[in-house]
Amino acid sequence: MHESEQLVAQLAALEERFRQRLHDELDELNHLADHLHRTPGALQDLRDRLHKLAGSAGTFGYAVLGERCRELEQRAQAELDAPHRSSAVLNSLAEATHHLNQLLEHTPDARTEHQRLDTPTTDEGDQRHIGLLVADDQMREQLERTLGSFGYQTSCFDNPTTLHQADHIDAMIVDTSPPGSTLLQDPVFRQRDAQSPPLLVISSQDNFTGRLHAVRVGAIGFFTKPVDLPMLESRLERCFNTLQGGPFRVLIIDDDTELSARYALVLSSAGMMVDTLSDPQQLLDKMTAFSPEVVLMDLSMPQYSGPELAQVIRLNDDWLRVPIVYLSAEVNAERQMSALLKAGDDFITKPISDSALLTTVYARAQRARMVSEALARDSLTGLLKHADIKEQVEIEAERALRTRSPLTVAMIDIDRFKSVNDRYGHASGDSVIRALSNLLRQRLRKIDRLGRYGGEEFVAVLPGCSEDDAFSILDSIRQAFSAVQFSSTQGKPFNCTFSAGISSCMAPGWNNSALLEDADRALYQAKESGRDRVCKAGVSSN
Amino acid sequence: MTMILKRIMHIEDDPSIQEVARVALEVVGGFEVRSCDSGADGLAAADDFSPQLVLLDVMMPGMDGPQTLIELRKLPCMQGVPIVFMTAKAQTQEVAAYRDLGAAGVIIKPFDPMTLSDQIREIWEYKHA
Repeated sequence: MHESEQLVAQLAALEERFRQRLHDELDELNHLADHLHRTPGALQDLRDRLHKLAGSAGTFGYAVLGERCRELEQRAQAELDAPHRSSAVLNSLAEATHHLNQLLEHTPDARTEHQRLDTPTTDEGDQRHIGLLVADDQMREQLERTLGSFGYQTSCFDNPTTLHQADHIDAMIVDTSPPGSTLLQDPVFRQRDAQSPPLLVISSQDNFTGRLHAVRVGAIGFFTKPVDLPMLESRLERCFNTLQGGPFRVLIIDDDTELSARYALVLSSAGMMVDTLSDPQQLLDKMTAFSPEVVLMDLSMPQYSGPELAQVIRLNDDWLRVPIVYLSAEVNAERQMSALLKAGDDFITKPISDSALLTTVYARAQRARMVSEALARDSLTGLLKHADIKEQVEIEAERALRTRSPLTVAMIDIDRFKSVNDRYGHASGDSVIRALSNLLRQRLRKIDRLGRYGGEEFVAVLPGCSEDDAFSILDSIRQAFSAVQFSSTQGKPFNCTFSAGISSCMAPGWNNSALLEDADRALYQAKESGRDRVCKAGVSSN
Repeated sequence: MTMILKRIMHIEDDPSIQEVARVALEVVGGFEVRSCDSGADGLAAADDFSPQLVLLDVMMPGMDGPQTLIELRKLPCMQGVPIVFMTAKAQTQEVAAYRDLGAAGVIIKPFDPMTLSDQIREIWEYKHA
């Protein structure tokens, strides 16, 4: 404990020194950026300094700045490798370098995460930036408006090159209409790789060739006009969740400790979290404690065979979805198949190159995480269900009482939802529900709890949030939701609104037993007074 | 039985990283750390300090990390001493290339000062298992 306090104090002092030095460093970068055209060697100096900052900034809590420096370093390197200097690239590099200063203000510091959570608004530093290459004006405006409502920042581009050169794009949306467009055949699309931002393609025609072209340039989504915008937003969110969900957890079971340590090093060098097990007797404890997303298992160990252990894992329903990959020198197809028939999903034949090992494990882990997320959530909204959100209200109410901090509960109900289903069909109704749940998730904080209370009714639990703060957040979400444009399966556009009732309890001498009922009463009041509004129940004080 | 790791030489030209790594390794890991500003400094101090493990920045002005590794390997006192690269570059191919050079491990920047010592110990224990 003492050591850790000492470390925290020393780190804080170092961070302060780094922060002071950082201003000089950014001044120097700006100076170099201004001289890229004139001074020989300036580009190389810039690259070196960016590299340094890419390594150090993140260590001192400036993760976003570090990431941005790394991107710029790569762009500077690409320009150094190019046979001729491009004036446009140098200008864009200089401009992006000048923008680094802004990241000092917006950079969320990992060590002050708890402070950020107390701020009841979405942090600007968390905003995702989507690049749009969409020639159709109406489509582009709809995308800008809808993605804006969901808290995304958008930028428009007029050709593939500027889109791919743009600074810090988290995902790109490309419209390939009109039919016969060769946009995706542009060389910059063909040069995309695993590091490129995720790509969603919009097309005016739903055919095999269009989808194939999209897949060939690595698109992760394909949408036909009229585009179901909330569905497109869902896809974006899912892709960011998969990217964000922390390192993949891999368990290696092998009695050859040296070999498993080697695999572990390779996988952890690529950012995965790896644990190893050499004594299969500990299997169940290890599975429970580590909860791996992929298991790599030696096919033959002295006392137990791989398939036996795999079957032991499969006896537990919780681990049915964990992929089990055998590591083996076995090349006999028949014996491989017999092992797979018993249990297990794949084979890796030893010896295996580092990159092949990484690719196999990465692909399996990614797929497993997607499946696992899909199973764990409510199939439509991905939110907590009725009983779970009620339980969360109780847990948070008790916590608020203990910590003497405010708590607000909101009940949200989509206005005239039945007529949406009747007029536009149930598929459109589902799309509205999904859109509202995504919007709430985007706009609320990570510590807030969200649940689908009934058909079109939602509950949000906002710890540490006063009634006034909750009112302003929900009211801004209400406005954003009413701006989302939906389209029926026949392509007919429509909008929706919601009403909300909020109820808070404030220390001291409060009453937390009737929060949900009070919120429900306030919701009724909002409906009665004309819908599309948020009503407060008033502070319960006894 | 694994030999206990005590002395680490850290070769890094960025003073910020040098300081934070020193604090992390000394306070959390209880290691004795010698910080060197360049590959040449590291080479000059190797005999006197006799490190058990070297933590080496990849991109440095003058002699870079890979060149320093090659020169260190020529010193009699450095035979069998694991050298760990520390780099902001973390592409799979690069990690594989550093290993081909004989690096015992690669630590990716930015690193977490709280867990740096554990990462180093893990590499050390693997090397001596």
